[in-house]
Amino acid sequence: MKITYNWLKDFVAITLSPRALAEKLTMAGLEVVSFEESRGDFVFEIEITSNRPDWLSIVGVAREVAALTNKKLKLPEPQPLRRGGGHTLGIEVQEKKDCPLYTAQLIEGIKVGSSPEWLRQRLELIGCRSINNIVDIANYILFEWGEPLHAFDFDALQAGAITVRRAQKGEKIVTIDGVERQLNDDVLVIADAGAPVAIAGIMGGRETEVGPATSRILLEAAVFNPVVVRRGRRMLGLESESAYRFERGVDIAIVQEASLRAARLIGQVAGGTVSAAKISGAAKVPTRRIALDGIHLRRALAVQIPSGTIKGILESLGFKAKALSQKKYTVSIPSFRQDVKIEVDLIEEIARIFGYGRIPNTIPRIRPPAGPQDDTALNRSLKEILIGLGLNEVITYSLVEKGWVRTPGQSADKEIAIANPLSKDQTVLRTTLLTSLAQCVAYNLRQKQPYIAIFEIAHTYGLDAAQKVQEHYKLGIALCGGRMLWVGKDRVYDEAGLLHIKGTIEVLFERLGIEKDACRFVMKNVHEAEVYVRGTLVGTLVRLRKEMCERLDIKNKEVVEAEIDVETLLSSANLKRRFKPFARMPGITRDTTIVVKDAVRTGAILDEIARWGANSSKGLLQDAEISKYYKGEQIPDDAKSLTISCTYCSPQRTLTDEEVNSLHTQLVDELKKFFNAAIR
Amino acid sequence: MDIEAIKTQIACDLNDLKSIQALEGVRVKYLGRKGLIAQLTGTIPSLPAAERASFGRQVNELKTGLLALLDEKQKALAAWREGADADTIDIGMPGIAPELGHLHPITKIISEVCAIFRQMGFSVVEGPEIETEFNNFTGLNIPLEHPSRDVFDTFYLATKSTLLLRSHTSPVQIRVMKSHKPPLAIVVPGRVYRPDAVDASHSFMFHQIEGFVVDADITFADLKGTLEFFAKSVFGKDISMRFRPHFFPFTEPSAEVDISCILCKGKGCSLCGRKGWLEILGSGMIHPNVFRHVGYDPSRYTGFAFGMGVERIALLKYGIEDIRLLFENDLRFLKQF
Repeated sequence: MKITYNWLKDFVAITLSPRALAEKLTMAGLEVVSFEESRGDFVFEIEITSNRPDWLSIVGVAREVAALTNKKLKLPEPQPLRRGGGHTLGIEVQEKKDCPLYTAQLIEGIKVGSSPEWLRQRLELIGCRSINNIVDIANYILFEWGEPLHAFDFDALQAGAITVRRAQKGEKIVTIDGVERQLNDDVLVIADAGAPVAIAGIMGGRETEVGPATSRILLEAAVFNPVVVRRGRRMLGLESESAYRFERGVDIAIVQEASLRAARLIGQVAGGTVSAAKISGAAKVPTRRIALDGIHLRRALAVQIPSGTIKGILESLGFKAKALSQKKYTVSIPSFRQDVKIEVDLIEEIARIFGYGRIPNTIPRIRPPAGPQDDTALNRSLKEILIGLGLNEVITYSLVEKGWVRTPGQSADKEIAIANPLSKDQTVLRTTLLTSLAQCVAYNLRQKQPYIAIFEIAHTYGLDAAQKVQEHYKLGIALCGGRMLWVGKDRVYDEAGLLHIKGTIEVLFERLGIEKDACRFVMKNVHEAEVYVRGTLVGTLVRLRKEMCERLDIKNKEVVEAEIDVETLLSSANLKRRFKPFARMPGITRDTTIVVKDAVRTGAILDEIARWGANSSKGLLQDAEISKYYKGEQIPDDAKSLTISCTYCSPQRTLTDEEVNSLHTQLVDELKKFFNAAIR
Repeated sequence: MDIEAIKTQIACDLNDLKSIQALEGVRVKYLGRKGLIAQLTGTIPSLPAAERASFGRQVNELKTGLLALLDEKQKALAAWREGADADTIDIGMPGIAPELGHLHPITKIISEVCAIFRQMGFSVVEGPEIETEFNNFTGLNIPLEHPSRDVFDTFYLATKSTLLLRSHTSPVQIRVMKSHKPPLAIVVPGRVYRPDAVDASHSFMFHQIEGFVVDADITFADLKGTLEFFAKSVFGKDISMRFRPHFFPFTEPSAEVDISCILCKGKGCSLCGRKGWLEILGSGMIHPNVFRHVGYDPSRYTGFAFGMGVERIALLKYGIEDIRLLFENDLRFLKQF
């Protein structure tokens, strides 16, 4: 909202410079977002919070200035309208709740024309276009008093009668902006004997608009229900200064005073006289009283404010504070402060004017345990491990396009759609991170990145079979492309594949204390493998299918991804560590190369070796690993050659060659027997 | 054999020497068990008695001299060898090490902020992103049909009309307070959603960090002190701060917190919109109605709460001008953090 320095001065003597005033207002909660000098005045733009409709006027801001600068507000007691007059005005308010107060004055003998310079300038400075003297005066009073007024061309009102009622379905009105609007019974209207002539509190109708030929006007000053105005405005998609104020709440006590002032101004500027006035409804609300306890004030603010200061602050803001004892008061709330409902509201008022800056800064004594256990530490260490493996963290949007691409490994949950999406790219909550990560890979490939290694830890969402909303913490990983690695003095191109993803996950498992023999990777098909920890499915490894790559415009590149359920993973974690003694004697290694059919899984061979080691090696087989994998010449097409390095070791003694040879021969025989392996 | 001839020969042998191995050869040739010096010593008993002493002395001198020469040569050779190695290492070549990944700047800010609050005894917890209307609004004293809801434009779920994507992290206040009794000191980082069209300073998805403290005697002064410690930890000890009265439905009194502009130090620049101040936090004393909604007795407990936008802090701290960079996930961007 805009106000001007000189306009404020009509109501309060200001000795502060405009800049100092701006600073003072900002620090009292009326944030001055900009101010500029213009046409011999200063224009302030102020951000008014939604709880303070009283500040949406010059008078309201002037009251604040007076309180902040210890000045008196120059404001006469508000006067009531003089009812009656020669002409009988027909006013009917159908629902009191929709419109607690409706007043009308009939002003006759006006001459519509352009506004005098002073009036034009004030309105233009605050960004309001001048229309004609009548409309301008209505606007002037709106900005000055915060009470929206509306002037109807009385002769355009059918039968000269006014009804405040809900619109009927099918009714229409052309508003002053020239738009025809469809109404329904959510919308409160002002109607004449026939049709709606204004949308109550929101905008007037074109039919009854004041124009050059108008000589009699009906000046409306009323209070409409904030919720009704809000609903109507939202339904119609309309914004107006008037609706803005009614939605927030207009002070019922100043309605008549505002109308009187407008009529007086019209008399001066357009030469009309009031010939009749009518009021429907109660012009007052009961005064609210709130008990204020100085002990509570001190307890909230940690500062002792003298009772004289407390009383002074409250009264400067228009409250009446009656001291019951040294520390207790009964505070009467003025009608323009409907936002003040309970004691803390008063405490805020006192703190605000006293100055937040004068309240000390202390550190609270926090008594542990202060609430639920900190549950984010594991999540953080997960991220640390992943960046240690060279992966970069990304953050992608949780909202995605409906049915965009289904990736393998996607959860069985149904997509949750958004009722009010912003765009078609963000219509549903994602059930998997894999699609977003693939998009991320595609983006970086377009940016000519040769190697993309990314991860994200975020929620996925879905409806389960029982239509219950589910939210899961997932870890997604995507790799694409390759990087050059130095091996000795040579550079070797290492292209990311499914085993790289597997390796990443194995490191995670190891770091989380999940033993190697508790995890299992099972290939489901050429595109997908499943990851189990102690028999529980924790995630999937995926090679992106061709059609998905094509949709993402990824050409001649393999994208491999993984999605792991973080909660399941972390529930299997075992971060306790116990030292296990290790063999200090040197071990003896034996390499054996076997040739087996492709159908024989390497994992099964390693499992068998481990099983044999546990049962038949007297605990001497310490480690077995694949040191070479070969397919090609000299090996049948349907077979593979594996070199297995076995290390034997005893913690107590140095093993002899003979002992190891005999053990290893047993192992090799076992492998021959079990896997039909040929020894090379 | 003539001692002088041997001296010349030694000089000659040592001169051509290029390696430690060759030096060892020379050592054996002269000083070995069957070396020349041993041979010379062997001839002493057969010499006339008068010559023995003098010859013996000469052989000893020869031996001492040779030892010194060999020592010197060995040092020279060793130095030469190091030099030779230095020639074969090209230090201009790239170092060899695995490449580490990078945390997203949002994660870095969240970690930093949470660490500051942990120091003060806060616990970090998270909450779901799909929320009820009650936790997101009503429980927080935000009435259904009220202009105070305008700033909280919200995505609703099509499947269940009372469920929504949380528009702030404050619903976690309700969750924690409903399930735990005071004392509480909590920070909550997380994603939030508002249907704002995406541009350089808006995103429909962003991150907030919520914090709150509840106990028997928490004051507005505690709120100020806590947030001062936080802001100075993040932005430096030299910043000035101010607490401006504001309105939030879930706190009373409420305050917005500004820090002096980190670029112009308060003089006014384009970053702070010539104001000299940057708004970084919203805060206030928890509204008694919020306590009532979670079953706390407002006459027994007081508390404060605050919330901040993580993106805003990241943009300020890292000098990023466009919020979209944070969600574009360009590796050239991510690898800078």
